[in-house]
Amino acid sequence: MSDAEESPTFEPVAPNTGDEFEPVDVFPDSDDFDLRPGADSCYKCAACDTNCPVAEVDDDFPGPKFQGPEQWRLKQTDDDYTVDDSIMSCSNCMRCDDACPSGVPLSQMHNTARGEYVSEQMDKLSVEYVRNRILANYRTSAFFASKVPRLANVAMNFGPARWLMEKTLGVTSERDFPEFARETFREWWAARGGADASRSNARESRQRRGEPTDSEKKVAYFHGCYSNYNTPEVGKAMVRVYEHFGYEVVAPEQRCSGTPMFANGMLADARRHAAVNVSSMSDLVEQGYDAVASCTSCSMALRQEYPELFDIDGIEAVAANTFEALEYLRINEDLTGAVREAEVSGDLAEEFAYHAPCHARNQGLDRQAVELFRDLDGAGIEDVGESCSGISGTYGWKEEKYEKSMAIGEEMFEHMAHAQGEVGMTECPTCAMQMEHGSGYEIRHPLELLEAALVE
Amino acid sequence: MAIESDVLVVGGGLAGLTSAITAAREGADVRLVSYKQSTLRHASGLVDLLGYTPDGEGPLTDPYEAMAALHDDHPYRTVGVETVREAMALFDEVTGYQGGHTDTNALLPTHGGTVKPTARYPPGAAAGVASDDRDMLLVGLESMTDFDAPHAAAHLDAAGVPFAVRGVTIQFPGDLRADAKVTRYAKQLDTNAEVAVRGRNRPVRDALAERVNPLLEGEERVGFPAVLGDDRADAVRAALAEKMGVDVFEVPSGPPSLPGLRLEDALFEALDESGARFETGNPVVDYEGDGAIERVFVEKYGTKIPISAAQYVLATGGLVGKGIESDREAVREPAFDCHVPHPADRYEWFDVDVFGDHAFAAFGVVTDATLRPLDGSGAPEFDNLRAAGGVLGGYDYAAEKSGAGVSIATGYAAGRNAAREVR
Amino acid sequence: MASTPHIAVLGGGSTGAGIARDLAMRGLDVTLLEQGNLTHGTTGRMHGLLHSGGRYAVSDQASATECIEENRVLRDIASHCVEMTGGLFVKRPEDSEEYFEEKLQGCAECGIPAEAVSREEARAMEPHLAKDIDKAITVPDGAVDPFRLVVANAASAQEHGARIETHSTVTDLLVEGGEIVGVEVEHASGPGKRVHGTEGGTEEIHADYVVNATGAWAGRIGDMAGLDIEVRPSKGVMTIMNVRQVDTVINRCKPKGDADIIVPHETTAILGTTDEEVEDPEDYPEEQWEVDMMIDTLSELVPMLEQARTIRSFWGVRPLYEPPDVGSTDPTDITRDFFLLDHEDRDDVSGMTSIVGGKFTTYRMMGEKISDHVCGKFGIDADCRTAAVPLPGSEDFSVLRDYMAEFGLRSPIGRRSVERLGSRADEVLKTDRPNPTVCECEGVTRAEVKDAITGSGSDLNAVRIRTRATMGNCQGGICSHRLANELHQEYDQNVVRQAWDELLQERWKGQRHALWGQQLSQAALNYSLHATTQNRDHDPADGDPVDFAAFDDGVAPSDGSGATDVAADGGRHGD
Repeated sequence: MSDAEESPTFEPVAPNTGDEFEPVDVFPDSDDFDLRPGADSCYKCAACDTNCPVAEVDDDFPGPKFQGPEQWRLKQTDDDYTVDDSIMSCSNCMRCDDACPSGVPLSQMHNTARGEYVSEQMDKLSVEYVRNRILANYRTSAFFASKVPRLANVAMNFGPARWLMEKTLGVTSERDFPEFARETFREWWAARGGADASRSNARESRQRRGEPTDSEKKVAYFHGCYSNYNTPEVGKAMVRVYEHFGYEVVAPEQRCSGTPMFANGMLADARRHAAVNVSSMSDLVEQGYDAVASCTSCSMALRQEYPELFDIDGIEAVAANTFEALEYLRINEDLTGAVREAEVSGDLAEEFAYHAPCHARNQGLDRQAVELFRDLDGAGIEDVGESCSGISGTYGWKEEKYEKSMAIGEEMFEHMAHAQGEVGMTECPTCAMQMEHGSGYEIRHPLELLEAALVE
Repeated sequence: MAIESDVLVVGGGLAGLTSAITAAREGADVRLVSYKQSTLRHASGLVDLLGYTPDGEGPLTDPYEAMAALHDDHPYRTVGVETVREAMALFDEVTGYQGGHTDTNALLPTHGGTVKPTARYPPGAAAGVASDDRDMLLVGLESMTDFDAPHAAAHLDAAGVPFAVRGVTIQFPGDLRADAKVTRYAKQLDTNAEVAVRGRNRPVRDALAERVNPLLEGEERVGFPAVLGDDRADAVRAALAEKMGVDVFEVPSGPPSLPGLRLEDALFEALDESGARFETGNPVVDYEGDGAIERVFVEKYGTKIPISAAQYVLATGGLVGKGIESDREAVREPAFDCHVPHPADRYEWFDVDVFGDHAFAAFGVVTDATLRPLDGSGAPEFDNLRAAGGVLGGYDYAAEKSGAGVSIATGYAAGRNAAREVR
Repeated sequence: MASTPHIAVLGGGSTGAGIARDLAMRGLDVTLLEQGNLTHGTTGRMHGLLHSGGRYAVSDQASATECIEENRVLRDIASHCVEMTGGLFVKRPEDSEEYFEEKLQGCAECGIPAEAVSREEARAMEPHLAKDIDKAITVPDGAVDPFRLVVANAASAQEHGARIETHSTVTDLLVEGGEIVGVEVEHASGPGKRVHGTEGGTEEIHADYVVNATGAWAGRIGDMAGLDIEVRPSKGVMTIMNVRQVDTVINRCKPKGDADIIVPHETTAILGTTDEEVEDPEDYPEEQWEVDMMIDTLSELVPMLEQARTIRSFWGVRPLYEPPDVGSTDPTDITRDFFLLDHEDRDDVSGMTSIVGGKFTTYRMMGEKISDHVCGKFGIDADCRTAAVPLPGSEDFSVLRDYMAEFGLRSPIGRRSVERLGSRADEVLKTDRPNPTVCECEGVTRAEVKDAITGSGSDLNAVRIRTRATMGNCQGGICSHRLANELHQEYDQNVVRQAWDELLQERWKGQRHALWGQQLSQAALNYSLHATTQNRDHDPADGDPVDFAAFDDGVAPSDGSGATDVAADGGRHGD
């Protein structure tokens, strides 16, 4: 690339801690956030309800306006006021946040209500609780499965076992469990030489690009569970693309981002994982690293849910310095120019049917892949519309939610069928499952296409 | 700079979308950024140009004629009647709305049982126009408190409509909960879902028509609350019309408003086709530049991300859309801090009568002839910033029924002017 | 006894309704006359505090003692109107230590359970209290819904045979030979339940005795018979917050002062108040500085109030009365005690007693005293039973929790409904028809609205005070027309239109004082919905006939069937 503009004008500013009064730090623990004041912004327009994919297919779910500002306003803090049990039907897609013209913290209200419901009202011995806990702690299952990937791949999708899981745990047998990779991303990363190797690759690139070899371009990669255990090719693509632009990558210690736990009201579990993630990321942020995620739900969790729900040291700084992988390059590099000059051939010279995950939409990223790859020679991309895929992480895995999940996804499946391409593309691993499940297409991540276009 | 374009439109409502589509069609490289969903979802989906004069005279039959008599600072006067016509032509082309065959306003029934003057209406509302003398049956749904068909019918009758009108209330087939959302009804109808009726499964469109058919007394058109499908609204209406042997229409209501939502979708589709780029979800909170804007900053989770362009359009809406904000002391425009004239005493911001002459209704920026916002001394705030839609001041869109028209006309003019600057 | 005496009770506030109930329960024949809605005067314009007596524990121990006694009675007989929030007297560092001690001491002397708590303990109870408060005293303050309480008293009176006439203004006292023998009344519509558009008229109501319980209007009634009743009306502002920033009544622990109380009331918190003498209870300035002072001063106790949303403000007029010889100049010094003015003893005009002064919390006791007085006149020996017999809605309230699932309502909606209806929940909420929520802010369902319409006629403001519909953050923006719709099943469209417009106007009145920030945005939205979407401001049914033929009749150049494919949700790239 000939563009020699080495210093990006973008400078992250300090997080917005400023002037707002901070009402709550005397609560015994942050599950008890009082969100009634959040209802102040609601002017009852119900834009959130029109954006809710669950309310569209399930009238037992009264919609985000009720679950959010209305419930919080009607609710009192005394124990007699229970959270309506329909909160468990919310899939935590967070589209309501994106809808509200008034800035009501809807998903924060939902997450908090769900946490309260699960901890105060849900029977901890119920099958539903146990099932949700297992689904929410995917990382634990994946960790064990990845030790014996081949066995796990067979066993997890073994018919009678799946029948039993549905009958005893309420995990739908309609879906195939994702395959575990033979070699995890972290195994690959370690074998490749870890951060040292990345540093030398980055320097080589800078040299090639005519940038100072000692420039401070460094990112901490939050790969998440799925890229590690199931799709290490996404993680590898991320590393190679970033190194191509001269970035040193580190892969710090990390746990689950917490996304599936928020969705299941398991806030204590989520906080435990978040504490590890924030601690390792904030150390790096202090040293000038930015955090980059390839999964849009992971970046969402770090940016929005953590500071909304937890009070952990350094959390604001991590949130303000976390980015999605393409977004970061778009802001800091001339990614558009690079893609415009590139060409892709071979395996990925395809027409892609792209679906923007809800959590990408929330971060304002729903159009970036389309915008970027529209100009790429050798490949095509078509947006399959703004509907939700319907799986919303663990939601679509629940036996009682499966049909609703597919009903939500129907619009996307139809648009995929209409789209020119027969390969799908999305940033979110569970949306990818749903896309594959509903269309039979193979699903790729934008980073894979970027790698094919830019990295030799 | 990494993210840049010729024209940056801030705001994704009717004005912003019209502006971006127009600028892109003029050949500019356009980006639109919008924060949250627009107030189109609050609105009925009817597109009013001018229904009453600022003095309350009306309903006006010819909005264009009345525009010429508006005060000089009215946005319609700023852009001129010819531009309004061009803008409406663009709007007609990209949305498929009806009413463009005549300059004359139509009177459409509202969910409150009044009629109101409007210039354009979606195909779904077309069979409901009140100057059509065919008899009308209005059908309400028992759980839907926003629209009471017998009340609306009695009210329309009291307004002297030239046809007989009756209202009946039915239960929507199937077993939806009483608080089901409008999108739930629409989805059922879109997918023609099977619903249980007296123990038998029936496609919902059939079941709905069968429920209304015995109630028909020779009326030629039947109006429902605006829940008749979302993605496939035309097919839903056509199917019902066929099964009932009548014309079918929706009575617009809101919020939340499916007709508003459909309009928003149609405009975004046109935006995409125009080649403009857009991104949603994050607010523009700051800018750099003196005399001219060099770049704006979009805030994401405490980080400010720069976006730059040669020309900017401010289309962030009014008090409802949060393009204009206030506190106990003052009224302001938050994105660029443009001057917003307002009385210093907040007790002069309103009238004591609920439908009185409210100053707040006209809060917004004032502009020069090319729609550039002016500062307190009457000079342009920035060389390269134009304003359109609800953020403009000087007109009471609610009383005049002029909101949609002003947004389309000024959006069009701002987009065109901006694009011509970069040529 | 030869015949049952007929008593005309003037004033449908807490005192009048309490008297009507008491007398009716003792077997007297009662007619209650109110110029507006029940609670139209001062009762409907108070902060809803159920006094523990703590407030008067230093300055007026007699009142304090009465308060704590009645506080206990009301918890019992009016449980569905009362929420025992508890109260705090909060001392800031700049407030007097000495007064704090006096307050504690005074509470002890008056039998008010009170306890000093540290800053930490107070903030654990109420996290939004300022970080720099000093300490606090806990007292058994509570919140009471004055509307519900008065409506329940009136309903009970009615059950015991009383006639209740609202929107009936007393225009004259009938005087015969130095004796008041009745009243002349102008019914706005009716008699009976109010129905818009029904022709009203004048009625002479003869009574064996008249009780003037018109509070701040007592002087005006007195004038009709040439009696001089020197009520000194004193206005106070109350500002309503959108949500409850506190769940406990917060009082500033100071001898006296404006803006010193926050009462959590239903879904809201009410900030109060000022104390300023006015000439006319119906015509006094409502001023910006009063609202600003509530926010600015009370932010010293609860800082988040500074940024929080207020949804309206209203003013109430205290019916203060001071015996002629005292001569206080500052209204805050005037006693809160009540006085029976028997005009026979006082002015040589028999047949009427006025009751003036007093407090909402002790309304029942005032009713008891005056009922004793009236019974004495007729030699009737009947015990007062109002302290023992629960009000309608407050009988057997303990079964509350079982109701919700049964009514098929979402948890907080069910809970709110049942709390409002108390033991009437079953009768009101059980329906086999769909029961959608009409007012979403306050969780009011159709069944509850219907019940209120049955109780109060076509008056949507009466429906409002019975149900709280339109009293939430949108102030009727989203649900006013829905309420009008509910009315239509019983009333004709022109009645509905009048009631609807009246409701819109009433909601606007108080909202004007909250028009900045979020509430201005709300008001702009409401205005758009009502004017743009509903064309409520130019209803053609109200105005000149419309020439329909002059407008577009919809004949499109094509087939007009709407074949244009309007893309929709998700359809940007799809079908």
